[in-house]
Amino acid sequence: MTRDIWKHLILVIGAIIVLAPFYMMLSYSFKSPGEIDRGTGGFFGRQEMMVDERCVQLRDPNRDEIAAAAPQYPGKSDREIRDAIMEEAAVACAMRPVVFNYTKAFIEAPLLRYLLNGVIVTVSIFVIQVLVALPAAYALAKLKFWGREAVFGLVLFCLLIPVHAIALPLYIILAKVGLTNTYAALVVPWTISVFGIFLMRQFFMTVPDDLIDAARMDGMTEFAIVWRVMLPTAVPALLAFAIFSIVAHWNDYFWPRIVVTGSRDLFTPPLGLREFKGDADGSFFGPMMATATIIVTPLIVAFLVAQRRFIEGITLTGMK
Amino acid sequence: MAVIDAPVAARTSREVNRQARTAWGLTTPALALMFLILLVPVVVAGVLSFTNYSLGNSSFDWVGFKNYDRLLSRSTYEKMFIATFTYVVVVVPVSVALGLGAALLVNSLGRIGDVYKTIYFLPVMATLLAMAIVWEFMLHPTIGVINQTLELSCGTFLEAIRFFGNGCADGFPLWLGDRDYAIWVLCFIGVWQGFGFNMVLYLAGLTGVHRELYHAAEMDGVKSAWERFRLVTWPALGPTTVFVVTISCIRAFQVFDTVEAFWPQGGGPNKSTYVMMFAIFEKGVQQNLIGIGSAITMLFLVFVMFLTLIQRWLVERKVHY
Repeated sequence: MTRDIWKHLILVIGAIIVLAPFYMMLSYSFKSPGEIDRGTGGFFGRQEMMVDERCVQLRDPNRDEIAAAAPQYPGKSDREIRDAIMEEAAVACAMRPVVFNYTKAFIEAPLLRYLLNGVIVTVSIFVIQVLVALPAAYALAKLKFWGREAVFGLVLFCLLIPVHAIALPLYIILAKVGLTNTYAALVVPWTISVFGIFLMRQFFMTVPDDLIDAARMDGMTEFAIVWRVMLPTAVPALLAFAIFSIVAHWNDYFWPRIVVTGSRDLFTPPLGLREFKGDADGSFFGPMMATATIIVTPLIVAFLVAQRRFIEGITLTGMK
Repeated sequence: MAVIDAPVAARTSREVNRQARTAWGLTTPALALMFLILLVPVVVAGVLSFTNYSLGNSSFDWVGFKNYDRLLSRSTYEKMFIATFTYVVVVVPVSVALGLGAALLVNSLGRIGDVYKTIYFLPVMATLLAMAIVWEFMLHPTIGVINQTLELSCGTFLEAIRFFGNGCADGFPLWLGDRDYAIWVLCFIGVWQGFGFNMVLYLAGLTGVHRELYHAAEMDGVKSAWERFRLVTWPALGPTTVFVVTISCIRAFQVFDTVEAFWPQGGGPNKSTYVMMFAIFEKGVQQNLIGIGSAITMLFLVFVMFLTLIQRWLVERKVHY
């Protein structure tokens, strides 16, 4: 029992170090700029009302607006009217730091657009990967044809090439074809998952031949067998592969950073966060941490809900 | 007999032909993409690494081995190799050892251990770029939580230790801005992010160690936990270790997100964190020096392929050391 206490002690220290940045990220996303600077306020911050300076500035009245407002303030000078309007603005622009941070995250940058782009890119990558890999894996596992060994050898060879490593020539080719700064550029290099082919082939090897023969007896074409017989049997393996693929591409920063340079319309979540950081001054730490929290949350929550499946999926690469 | 067999043989051969045609039909999309997306770029990089090509130029000159020459002679690239190898040599052993240690502890605790498993796996799931930005805040020299915490030690007995004494007198390290610390901070974050992944792989490996082996060892008089680990667990985990080390190496070689987030210009103080992926990005993409970028790409590929081939060779020999 005392031995267990030592184990827990070591593991708890480890857990504190691992969780520290998550704790700080959440905590900063709740706090006001002042509290972040001074390092006060505990986890949630004191949540005192704060005034959004930018919002107040936007309400600063010009001459015409002061003239228009004059009837409401009889007998006052322009200067007094302006002060009165600014006071009202300060009241209207007051909000809790947590509200400030999270609304700013969505207003200052098109965060929703980034999230949508992230979904579009990760989902299309996964769908295309399956469309390409599944038939090939079936052919390699279940059909006899001249050259099969050579094709499988090629698959094994291609497993040696990480796509990130050949990013530069890929970028040059895409630039030559005029595809940089398009969704296609974000998706194309990932359409072929050699690992996916390898994985599905290993899985299909375990599917009994009788199942396929029966389907052939029923007059199904090989193409139909792939999608109507093999696909349903492969669901568990596909689910694991989906998690593997989606986690990798939602979090990917290197490739989008290379091929998306101009328009914010194509930014994926990590790129959006990076840009936010680029032009953030000190007072924007809070909104930036709110953005980071929003980007990290979907996968973390999904992981906590379906832990076993996620760990299976991510460690798929451990299969030999 | 032969008379009856002939049509059957003909039918089977037609059948075989038909199956071959469908098979090629099913593999063609994958094959085409493999060539276009994986093999052609390797060849392109290989060819361009002997040129001075830039995007936008209509022509280029062949420069022979000049790009490779530069890689091996200029001090910038010397720093690049030092940074990359320091990172790999530190992060791989530390994250593998921590992963193994965590797996053994978690495994010995049974169901309660699962809580730690979940926690240690979180950094693997989180967007590294986002977490890098959080680390940057925490490491901020003045308002960062790390230096603020260290300052609490001032005026206490801890000041007797040199690190704290100097810190209280002259200020604590700048961390990311300090050329003596930058690469180590980078390594630390690499370990922080990656060891949970190794832990999970080891946990999977541990479920494959047969209980009988422990019983047998006990019969043979193996009593201490260390001996049990050395004689039973570690050899049984051999294949897992080969795999964990290889995948950690490949991931460590590809470090980029943290470097770009911390030092968008130039790869850290005094180029101390100028790792290869960042060099490819900076030279090839940002500065449009595609010849030199391709040369780095080729070296990078050689390293990664070499590592994977060693791994496959070890696996094929079924090494249990």
